[in-house]
Amino acid sequence: MKFRDYYETLGVARSATEAEIKAAYRKLARKYHPDVNKEASAEDQFKELGEAYSVLKDTEKRAAYDRMGANWKNGQDFTPPPNWNEGFEYSNDNYSDGHPGFGGGHQGNQSEFFESLFGQGRYRQGGRGGNPSQGMDFKGQDHHAKISIDLVDAYNGAKRTITLHMPTQDTSGHVSTQERKLDVSIPKGIKAGQNLRLAGQGGPGMGAGGSGDLYLEIDFHPNPIYRVDGKDVYLDLPLAPWEAALGTAVNIPTPAGSTLELTIPAGTATGRKMRLKGKGIPSKEAGDLYVVPSIVLPGAETDLQKEAYQTLEKAFDFKPRTHLKG
Amino acid sequence: MTKMTRTQITWIEGSIVEDDIHMSILEISKAARAPAELIMSWVSEGVLSPAGSSPEDWRFSNDSLRRAKTAAHLTHDLELNTPGVALALDLLDEIARLRNQLLRENIT
Repeated sequence: MKFRDYYETLGVARSATEAEIKAAYRKLARKYHPDVNKEASAEDQFKELGEAYSVLKDTEKRAAYDRMGANWKNGQDFTPPPNWNEGFEYSNDNYSDGHPGFGGGHQGNQSEFFESLFGQGRYRQGGRGGNPSQGMDFKGQDHHAKISIDLVDAYNGAKRTITLHMPTQDTSGHVSTQERKLDVSIPKGIKAGQNLRLAGQGGPGMGAGGSGDLYLEIDFHPNPIYRVDGKDVYLDLPLAPWEAALGTAVNIPTPAGSTLELTIPAGTATGRKMRLKGKGIPSKEAGDLYVVPSIVLPGAETDLQKEAYQTLEKAFDFKPRTHLKG
Repeated sequence: MTKMTRTQITWIEGSIVEDDIHMSILEISKAARAPAELIMSWVSEGVLSPAGSSPEDWRFSNDSLRRAKTAAHLTHDLELNTPGVALALDLLDEIARLRNQLLRENIT
């Protein structure tokens, strides 16, 4: 087990006052809140902050933590000394952070270090293994998870097997990681940010309450060719200067997997979008596919190529910088 | 000890929120894990804009679900009050809009 330096996590001195700890936590929490910060690592950092703060804001826990001494370094191998917490008393509300029932915060997934010192299962050695962050909250009845699919799946629909990891607590307070495999039909026409509701696939209900629902928030894997904005899809189309000037016909791939022949009108300029109506993500009102031309200039390397550019120069009285008046 | 258990389930059909279903105040309250009173305060602050005239008739969109989830997280994690949540959500939407604009223009 690795030691966690909670003071370092919050960037405060070991002598920091309660107010300083709170201010440091608040500032970092705003910065790394996963709803605010879109970096992939933000969620883990936010959880680390929450864990550090939950110990340092609590006088008893902080005193117990401090008793381990100031010589431990972040990430150092660590075993809690026997009876290290003798004489300290604190309530075990780590899992809910004092907000039972409702409380839609990002919580859970404390480190093994925290778990062994302050967790409900601290009498157990070891802990649950790495818990892959699936965006899974486990309190309450409705569960949430994020899944990434390919753009083509939104065009054609797909069947996907997803794996969810859920820490669950049994009646005696033991924590176990439940792995669930779900075979889900991804309906055609789903868009990034939309939620797919799987009725009855959430947490088990209490009494006659019935099971909660599982909400899967959809995201697309990054695509090397297409960019997606809502139900509209963008494709960059490189064109040779003569193709753009004289017009041509090109074959373009569609996200659905087919090929379309597209007429490029003479005099096409870079950035002048062409809209293929209804070729975006399908739905009742299908999105559009935008083709964004960009003119690519070949370098002049051979004598013949240089001559071709010189011929161009003679043919045009082209002054591209008249607006600079220099 | 850590137990690993596995449950195998056969193909599940889901419903797309908004396309297929519109959520009531009870459903969105449960899904966003926020009490109905908080949902109502977000509606009166303009954070959520359901269709329908009274709370019983309210129907929330997927965008409302997304916003309600974020609002619940911010309220809980950063102890923001309702006007603070409203401001944060508006700013986050503005950032998302600008990011999408960069994406459309292919500026990264």
